Amino acid sequence: MFSEQAARTAQGLLAPPSAEASTFARVPISTYTNCSQHFRLGERSFNRQYAHIYATRLIQMRPLLLERARQKWGSGIAVRKLCELQTAEKCCIVGTLFKSMQLQPSILREISEEHNLLPQPSRTKYIHQSDELILEDELQRIKLEGAVDIQKLVTGTILALYGSEREDGRFVVEDHCFADLPRQLPRRGPSTDRFVLLVSGLGLGGGSGESFLGMQLLVDVVTGQLGAEGEQSCAAQISRVILAGNLLSQNTQNKDTINKAKYLTKKTQAASVEAVKMLDEILLQLSASVPVDVMPGEFDPTNYTLPQQPLHHCMFPLAGAYSTLQLVTNPYQADIDGVRFLGTSGQNVNDIFKYSSMEDYLEILEWTLHVGHLSPTAPDTLGCYPFYKTDPFIFTDCPHVYFCGNAPRFQSKELTGVDGQQVLLVTIPDFSATQTACLINLRNLTCQPISFSGFSADEDEGEMEISH
Amino acid sequence: MEDELYLENIDEFVTDQNRIVTYKWLSFTLGVHVNQAKQMLYDYVERKRKENSGAQLHVTYLVAGNLIQNGHICHKVAVVREDKLEAMKSKLATIASVHVYSIQKAMLKDSGPLYNTDYDIVKTNLQNCSKFSAIQCAAAVPRTSAEVSQVQTSAQADSQTPNDTHAVNVPTINGHVSSTAKQPSPQPKGIMGMFATKSASKSQDTNKETKPESKETTIATTVSSKVSPKGSAMSNFFGKAAMNKLKVSSECEQPKEEKTVAKPSVSVTEPKSPPSAAVEKPGKKMEPVKIQQKDKRSRAKRMATSDNEEKEDENLKKKRRRIKRPQSDSSEDEDVSVSPTPQEAKPPLPSPEPALKIELEPATTEASTGGKKRKRKRVLKSKTFVDSEGCMVTEKVYESESCTDSEEEFIKSKLPAAHNQSTAAVRKEPKEDRKGLKKGTATASKANKQVSIMGFFQKK
Repeated sequence: MFSEQAARTAQGLLAPPSAEASTFARVPISTYTNCSQHFRLGERSFNRQYAHIYATRLIQMRPLLLERARQKWGSGIAVRKLCELQTAEKCCIVGTLFKSMQLQPSILREISEEHNLLPQPSRTKYIHQSDELILEDELQRIKLEGAVDIQKLVTGTILALYGSEREDGRFVVEDHCFADLPRQLPRRGPSTDRFVLLVSGLGLGGGSGESFLGMQLLVDVVTGQLGAEGEQSCAAQISRVILAGNLLSQNTQNKDTINKAKYLTKKTQAASVEAVKMLDEILLQLSASVPVDVMPGEFDPTNYTLPQQPLHHCMFPLAGAYSTLQLVTNPYQADIDGVRFLGTSGQNVNDIFKYSSMEDYLEILEWTLHVGHLSPTAPDTLGCYPFYKTDPFIFTDCPHVYFCGNAPRFQSKELTGVDGQQVLLVTIPDFSATQTACLINLRNLTCQPISFSGFSADEDEGEMEISH
Repeated sequence: MEDELYLENIDEFVTDQNRIVTYKWLSFTLGVHVNQAKQMLYDYVERKRKENSGAQLHVTYLVAGNLIQNGHICHKVAVVREDKLEAMKSKLATIASVHVYSIQKAMLKDSGPLYNTDYDIVKTNLQNCSKFSAIQCAAAVPRTSAEVSQVQTSAQADSQTPNDTHAVNVPTINGHVSSTAKQPSPQPKGIMGMFATKSASKSQDTNKETKPESKETTIATTVSSKVSPKGSAMSNFFGKAAMNKLKVSSECEQPKEEKTVAKPSVSVTEPKSPPSAAVEKPGKKMEPVKIQQKDKRSRAKRMATSDNEEKEDENLKKKRRRIKRPQSDSSEDEDVSVSPTPQEAKPPLPSPEPALKIELEPATTEASTGGKKRKRKRVLKSKTFVDSEGCMVTEKVYESESCTDSEEEFIKSKLPAAHNQSTAAVRKEPKEDRKGLKKGTATASKANKQVSIMGFFQKK
């Protein structure tokens, strides 16, 4: 693990100054390829409706699902389209799920004068006992019943169901299956220890200075200023840092300027300006020492819809001078030293959390991998660009490391797929709340959290609590 | 005694100046490696305590190690006060490092001031923040400004390629338009605002031009080759007369561009000027209304001035303009000084543009980058005819917008002393146009310029 061999020289710096101070060279980047081209948008046109993205999703995933269905229920099963269904015939149908939720916020309902409704209060979860599942394919839709977990599933999932249609027109489900993990390319990881640091939720501009020291300690550890010599030599093996979103805090998002009178807000600056300047300085310190990939998040100054485009380089005049700084999309996919990384800043998992009964972020992360789609709830409840030719969120290859940022706590798990795929799932905690980041060892695909703390007056132990 | 020197320094910082001396602050102040700074702090604490056990000295330590938490091994890095050091060490399963973090006279209630000290010292040393660090990264080399602009241009171009693979049914013209709009984004936005409805061919030409322009190698040949396709493309939009004018001006821009290329420091203006040169003329056509108004104003002015001017007035004005010009643009000054000397050698007056061409060619190092910066706004076409000297003379149908136009012309026309006034006046126009347009365009573009996102970050 990180810095175990450092223990030998731990107290080495508690001594008078030595003549020579050792400097370590950062491990060079052996191989790096950014595979996120399909998340880059060029010219954007919003004239299209969102129905096309569902259509293409179904078209792309139908063959995968049929294959899985045949593997699971035998190759002799009858595969029917909804329009070909006959009552009481056991068959397999493939389609898109739609969950009709009465608590789902609907703008039409809100502004409808007939209903005279007050706007809905925001909730953490929008699920309700009365939710219903409906399966849609190209032509028709049918209500579902039976052995299907209505609370757990979300709109937009493509799945295959085995069952039969009843007289009243509902489909009774006996079994279901997902597209499951796609094939995985072999991992050609490094033979020596190499680490990738994953951080998310720096939350600059948040107004509370508590996390600043933690952030400074993080930067110092990575750039090799902190720690004894052993630790510094281990830190030199960190080959990359990925900042997974929410670099700015939610507090920078306030739109007071819209509500306040103009004369009150004339000289005020958006809170995000100061926060971005601070971010630039931090990125400068980091990119002067290690390659950094910056992914935008929910509160960052880039577009709202997925896939979020990289932050603009003009915001980072200082750090932008270094070629080690890379501004990347959200979601982000890359081959780092032979290991395929794929991850998001957490909006997809967060959205599924709101509309599903699943409580654990790691469980949701694993579920998206099984479903074969990064964010099935887009575009229904999560903003998404109206694609029509391809849906870039469908998994084409299985990653080796699959992460999501801005989770409430750190969790990691090693998943083994049906076809022998090995995936490391990591939920990166929000740094501004937990002061914790993740270190991934590329040699053996293990993950270790690293947490930072200062001290403050009101705690007996003299250190901040780390929620874990 | 070097060894004692640092002790004295630390003593001074802590006791006399009452500072919080963190290892990072000490490392930057004394210019030593961070590890040495940590050791120095430790040494100071030990010695001070040995000689005076009641010394008012508070120390904070950094402890790092593995901690078993919730079943997994968490690596913990903590800054602790001295009194909590042992407690923290006992909590950790394995200790990876312990060293002195800071020394201060007063007891710290919380770690906020430590952060502030580090933040301040890092802020003042931003450019070499990892100079004294224990890890040096070979890949982290800051790019020069030329490379930065090149990367920006290519990044913008690359962002267009995913366009095709996407489910966006955009005609190719759209794609090209956006690429034009995006590529010169580091350049003044006011200019690009005029090219909202440019056609694909034009933008292709500008693309071609912007991309090579950002390279620092001598691209005179490429530039010259580009000038001709540009000329032919432009001809689709303008009549033959304008075509000729464009050719001439593009020819003269070519040596200008050569000069720009030769000048290493003007990497930013390089991408600026060719598109400006290329686009300014079509741009003029695209927005005749705006420009015509200005042109009318300046035309009236120039008519008045040309009617009244005499040699002395010209000289006076030229002189006046000369004084003015260095204030506005030092590179223009060079142009001014360069222009008289070679031209005086040739008594017959070449037309302004060919004159510019001739004078520019020998003077390889001096580039009127300022001239290229200012976009010329010529809406109407100009006629080109061959002079008695065999040089091409360009006459404009009307003049450009601002009074600074006349500067250029005056200066140029100083050289051709033998020419009669009318032709001089006429010839002044293109020169005035060129230089004056710069100013006119600059002010106009500033007025119409869209506030760019750079406005927030320019302080830096």
